[in-house]
Amino acid sequence: PLKLLQPKAVPKRLGTSQKKPHEPQLPRSLIKEIFSHFVKMPVTRDAFKIVEKCCERYFKQLSNDLEAYASHAGRKTVEVADLEVLMRRQGLVTDKMPLHVLIERYLPLEYRKLLIPVAVSGNKVIPSN
Amino acid sequence: NQRRMKRTVPRGTLRKIMKKHKPHLRLAANSDLVVRKERGGGEARLRLRLPRGIHLNFLLFLRRLAEEARTNAFESKNKIIKPEHTISAAKVLNNFNIF
Repeated sequence: PLKLLQPKAVPKRLGTSQKKPHEPQLPRSLIKEIFSHFVKMPVTRDAFKIVEKCCERYFKQLSNDLEAYASHAGRKTVEVADLEVLMRRQGLVTDKMPLHVLIERYLPLEYRKLLIPVAVSGNKVIPSN
Repeated sequence: NQRRMKRTVPRGTLRKIMKKHKPHLRLAANSDLVVRKERGGGEARLRLRLPRGIHLNFLLFLRRLAEEARTNAFESKNKIIKPEHTISAAKVLNNFNIF
């Protein structure tokens, strides 16, 4: 109700902070870290910006796809099955590369331990790649 | 290669991002956010929950993007990934319906 009260003219683009505070997005540092982990090469600053844009597009597309799969199954809730179908279509999950193998390879150890308890039960061997 | 990614899944952020795009869409297991403190907590029943699944998909997406960008850089005999390499990598992924 009081939103017209004193709209201060704040100059935009002051200093270095340019990100919009209300848009949820992954931390840039995280994107950067993951990307450079996989790329194993130096990456220019502008190239990272492109990667960030790609991530935004990726999430947009992902949510579209998951919605489509869920509604196709007559649900309003996205479930893991939808994700698996999606990853099959993307060619990430195949008969030779089931989902749990991908989990084993790519999720951090804490998650792997939790997701695949079989791999750590019995002995202390950490599931290795 | 020895250095592994330390950061874990920003679950809340992933949910928020999904919420932004599809406000009406629910993600499975809202009530069952088991893993909040993985290290300390007691043992809980755990299955693949969606945000983590999304994170996995996201990781694999970034890996493909990185691989394509790397290939592009090699082909143009660069030792640094430049914007054009990532742009054309993105186009390749687009053709494969990744995004």
